[in-house]
Amino acid sequence: MGPLSRLNHFFWEYKYLFVPGLLFTMVSAGFQITVPMVVRQAVDSIPRFVRLYTLYADTPAQAELYTYFVVALLLFAGGIILLSATSGLFMFLMRQTVVVASRHIEYDLRNDLYAHLQRLSSTFYQEYATGDVITRATDDIEKVRRYIGPAIMYVTRSLVMVLVAASAMFVISPTLTLYALLPLPLLAGAVFFMARMVHRRSDRLQQQYSALTSRVQEALSGIRVLKAYTREAAEAEAFDDESRAYRARNLDLAWVESAWRPSFLLLVGVSTVIVVWVGGRLVTEGAITIGNIAEYIIYINMMTWPVASLGFVITMIQRASASVQRLQRIQDRTPEIADGPQTDASIKTLEGRIAFRDVWYQYADEEAPALRGVSFELPADGTLAVVGRTGAGKSTLVRMIPRLLDPDAGTVTIDGHDLRTLPLETVRRHMGYVPQDVFLFSDTVANNIAFGDLDAHRDEIRRAAAEADLLDNVRDFPEGFDTYVGERGITLSGGQKQRTSIARALIRNPRILIFDDSLSAVDTATERNILRSLRQRQGSHTLVIVSHRLSAVQEADLILVMEQGAVVQRGTHEELVAQDGLYADLHEKQLLEEEIQAL
Amino acid sequence: MADNTSDDHFEPDDSVDEVHTFDGKLIRRIARYLAPYTGYVVLALVLTLGASVLGPLRPWLVQKAIDNYIVVGDLEGLRWVILFLMLALVGEGLLSFVENYLTQWIGQQAIYDLRTTLFRHVENQSLSYFDHTPVGRIITRTTSDVEALSDAFSSGLVTALGDLFKLFFIAYFMFTLNWMLAVVTLLVMPLMVGVTVWFRRNVRKQYRETRKQMARLNSFIQEHVTGMHIVQLFGREAEEKRRFEDINDDHRAAHLRTIFYYAIFWPSIEFISSVALAAVLWFGGFRALGGSALTLGVLVAFIQYARQFFRPIRDLSNKYDTLQRAMAGAERVFGVLDTRASLDAPDAPVELKGIQGTIEFENVWFAYEEDTEGTPDWVLKDVSFKVEPGETAALVGATGAGKSTVMNVLLRFYEIQKGRILVDGHDIRDLRLQDLREHIGLIPQDVFLFSGSVRRNLTLDNPDVDEALMRRAAKMVQADGLIQRLPDGYDQDVKERGSSLSRGQRQLLAFVRALLYDPDVMVLDEATSSVDTETEALIQQALERVTEGRTTLAIAHRLSTIQDADKILVMHKGEIRERGTHQELLAADGLYRKLYDLQYAEQSPGGAWEKNEPTDERVQA
Repeated sequence: MGPLSRLNHFFWEYKYLFVPGLLFTMVSAGFQITVPMVVRQAVDSIPRFVRLYTLYADTPAQAELYTYFVVALLLFAGGIILLSATSGLFMFLMRQTVVVASRHIEYDLRNDLYAHLQRLSSTFYQEYATGDVITRATDDIEKVRRYIGPAIMYVTRSLVMVLVAASAMFVISPTLTLYALLPLPLLAGAVFFMARMVHRRSDRLQQQYSALTSRVQEALSGIRVLKAYTREAAEAEAFDDESRAYRARNLDLAWVESAWRPSFLLLVGVSTVIVVWVGGRLVTEGAITIGNIAEYIIYINMMTWPVASLGFVITMIQRASASVQRLQRIQDRTPEIADGPQTDASIKTLEGRIAFRDVWYQYADEEAPALRGVSFELPADGTLAVVGRTGAGKSTLVRMIPRLLDPDAGTVTIDGHDLRTLPLETVRRHMGYVPQDVFLFSDTVANNIAFGDLDAHRDEIRRAAAEADLLDNVRDFPEGFDTYVGERGITLSGGQKQRTSIARALIRNPRILIFDDSLSAVDTATERNILRSLRQRQGSHTLVIVSHRLSAVQEADLILVMEQGAVVQRGTHEELVAQDGLYADLHEKQLLEEEIQAL
Repeated sequence: MADNTSDDHFEPDDSVDEVHTFDGKLIRRIARYLAPYTGYVVLALVLTLGASVLGPLRPWLVQKAIDNYIVVGDLEGLRWVILFLMLALVGEGLLSFVENYLTQWIGQQAIYDLRTTLFRHVENQSLSYFDHTPVGRIITRTTSDVEALSDAFSSGLVTALGDLFKLFFIAYFMFTLNWMLAVVTLLVMPLMVGVTVWFRRNVRKQYRETRKQMARLNSFIQEHVTGMHIVQLFGREAEEKRRFEDINDDHRAAHLRTIFYYAIFWPSIEFISSVALAAVLWFGGFRALGGSALTLGVLVAFIQYARQFFRPIRDLSNKYDTLQRAMAGAERVFGVLDTRASLDAPDAPVELKGIQGTIEFENVWFAYEEDTEGTPDWVLKDVSFKVEPGETAALVGATGAGKSTVMNVLLRFYEIQKGRILVDGHDIRDLRLQDLREHIGLIPQDVFLFSGSVRRNLTLDNPDVDEALMRRAAKMVQADGLIQRLPDGYDQDVKERGSSLSRGQRQLLAFVRALLYDPDVMVLDEATSSVDTETEALIQQALERVTEGRTTLAIAHRLSTIQDADKILVMHKGEIRERGTHQELLAADGLYRKLYDLQYAEQSPGGAWEKNEPTDERVQA
């Protein structure tokens, strides 16, 4: 069982479903097995009835016999119906317990996985592709469920059926039973091998399907290149190749699947033929009755599916085992950024004094450090601006403040406490962060704004939207604040998204407000409005702002100019303009740009 | 049991929500794809017919075995019947195997034809089609929608007919054996059909519901994995967990309802078969008492028939659903095939064999889109200029001035609305698209790289480009050394979108790519100066090589290109505002002077600030 043993506690947890479920399974199988016995009785009795009936022809006893036979026939028929009704009832109960339990466990597994995902930090998400995580949360969990529910149900049912039916058959005729059951192990074996072939081939089919999809995806994304170099025909041929390969994979699978039903039919059919042949000889020898032949035929039909399912179950268990391991790889990850023994849980509020002391950081997949010994101090309620070219390390720097990243070396402190000793919850609750890449949820505008403040009233949402200069836009939306954004609703422009993201940060009234190049998609007039509302709030928060546009940073108390992960210049706007350096160059350039734009 | 359910994450699959009437036109159109395989279809039908007879024949043979031989003890005769039984069994097995495979084969051929036709169709649409159609949607059309149709092609008609045949033959044999018992057995048939239809209807509804819940789960996870940092930053873990559990709960509830229907269905079917069995025994016995010639063999045969005829009914009801899905898929696929946004080919194309290289824009007006009132949003306004053979013209201007658009319309990626574009005096609309593009080489600013090797990206899988040609072109722009230095040289995998190469390196590859075709005209969008000095020098030299002796139209970001240009066209807001040589324009002290200070001054020693110019995505080929 190996990895699957990690699931055992679930069986215990849901024992109130599993224990009766397995009992129901056995009872149902038991009743089902008795039906053929009644059939045999009936088949054997009918000729006897007829013989007796004709024997007593034209005597008064015949009328009595008639009533007796009719009642007996009714009893046989009624017995069959009653037995299968009972068996059916328990089969119903079996599915309602065992399969239901498997769905409960699936539910638990998925909740656990999601809860764990929420604790994992950015390094995990850099490592795992989104699609990969989704596959685990859906396909893998489904595979595990199939093991827990259906597989266990099939195994129990099959064992009971086979054992009871085989013993019933054995009592009648050991020889016939041996011959009749001969093909069944073959059936289980064949099912197992074919199921494995099907799985392997459909995995290969899946791979080719992905190859086909990526080919289309690439061709369409690079359609300009294809057209510019008139490679359309060649690409179409390459696509033909992929389609041909896909067709071949499909036919590989079709081959096995086409053989599937016929082989099933053949093995079961052979059993029936054996029963008729060997059974026929036994009948002539007087060892068994013709009713027994009918009984055997029904038994064999009844047993085929349970026996075949044993073949499936093995593959199901193998797949489940692989899936459990894949799930476990996520579950066993310990969150890198989390509260620990050094956390001082008593700290509930922040003032907002930020200090970096010789902070270094390097991303795992990059060659050079993103931050090289960055140090600065910012008093509470102060404004810090970070400027520099793309890739200079600005975003990395600000991502340290809400502890999205922990420094490799050096310390980040807030109010003099090492960030790692502050409760994560406290840090984040007092932080308003506007990331560079805006991410909104497919929800209403209002819910997106109130994302960080669940209890916000409509008035507060409105105020935050006003401060982010979004209110006029919202008025134009078809349903105002209740308009859905994203796939199911309207598509917001880059600037609208950015301003929604700003409102989302502002509504929390954070002690520390971080703008990571958050005004890039808005025009200068809007920028001015937003900056004005921020200034009105000044004194109530520490502001850290990353920007390309100098207009946004001019009033900062401290400006850091970064290059290749290091701070190369620092000071106020006036000081920096006076120095002959990068900042002055940038300033000059921007003035010129404005001039050209105005032409 | 093959679980090749391909979840596509591109768009919600709404096919199951549509209730489709089987419209004749659509079916005829689907059937057209089967036409080339008519012979095989007929063969498959014949095989199906054979298999459908052999299946129900077996209980009939069993009846013969019991009544004619076992009862009388004729073992010799029994051997013969057994032989026939085996033959029928093996025959049915073989026929249905061949038939199954054949129908799949036909389906796969037809699907292949449809898929490749569809791809060619899409590929030949003009660029404005791709501007307006999300790539994800086109992918879905060419993959999963086509996939849905394969069921219609393969299992659809042939297997459905096979099921009907089977039902017919079962009934036929029953009636031949004993018509009264046949009637009694068939009496449960409406019950069977009723339960199956009831089950199908509910399960279909539930299936839709579970798919919907699955899609909700998927998109929730997708969204929250992507935006996990936001969830964490805003301390929303508890709330989001609660919402996830709600969705997960709905998902579970949908499945629990489905389980309920299955839990009722299977026992019911079992039960109804048993009722048929009981009816046969009771009525058979009753009739036997009445002196009718009911034999044991007939009784045993009927016991088997009572179990046999359920399967075709269930299969038929399954097929109804897959066919409906196929119809929905077909409709969408044909919808794409009916879209025509390809450029009109000239009626009598002017043949081009090597060109001189004169390029002329005559009062060109162009807009990508119209605004809501229908007035074009002009990106090029009355642009006129002429570049003589061998000349180099530099286009300069701020972002959004329309420089890239000039290139787009010259290569006829888009059709201009007013004016004319002439190459060697021929209106480009009179040329074959292929000729035009073969003679004009394009070097875009940011190069689109396909996954695969450097080699593949240079040759674009063109078999006419041999190793020597490729190496020569690479050497010409000194990219050869750079490529050789990569760990796997020309076989280096460039990774997704060339992420393992720097921007400058990527542009060098684009130079090689363009040179391979030895175009007469070079259209070039220079990379902004975000490259390291070594690559910068290489690009510089490559530029000189490439423009040598060729008519060149360049969006210039390099001082050297500008200084060497025969003429400079200064664009601003869709118009050409100034034109002349570098010295003339500098002297004029107008717009060019300002642009020059902004963009190029830094290339003189001392300046190092780079502007992060957002490039127009339309030119990011």
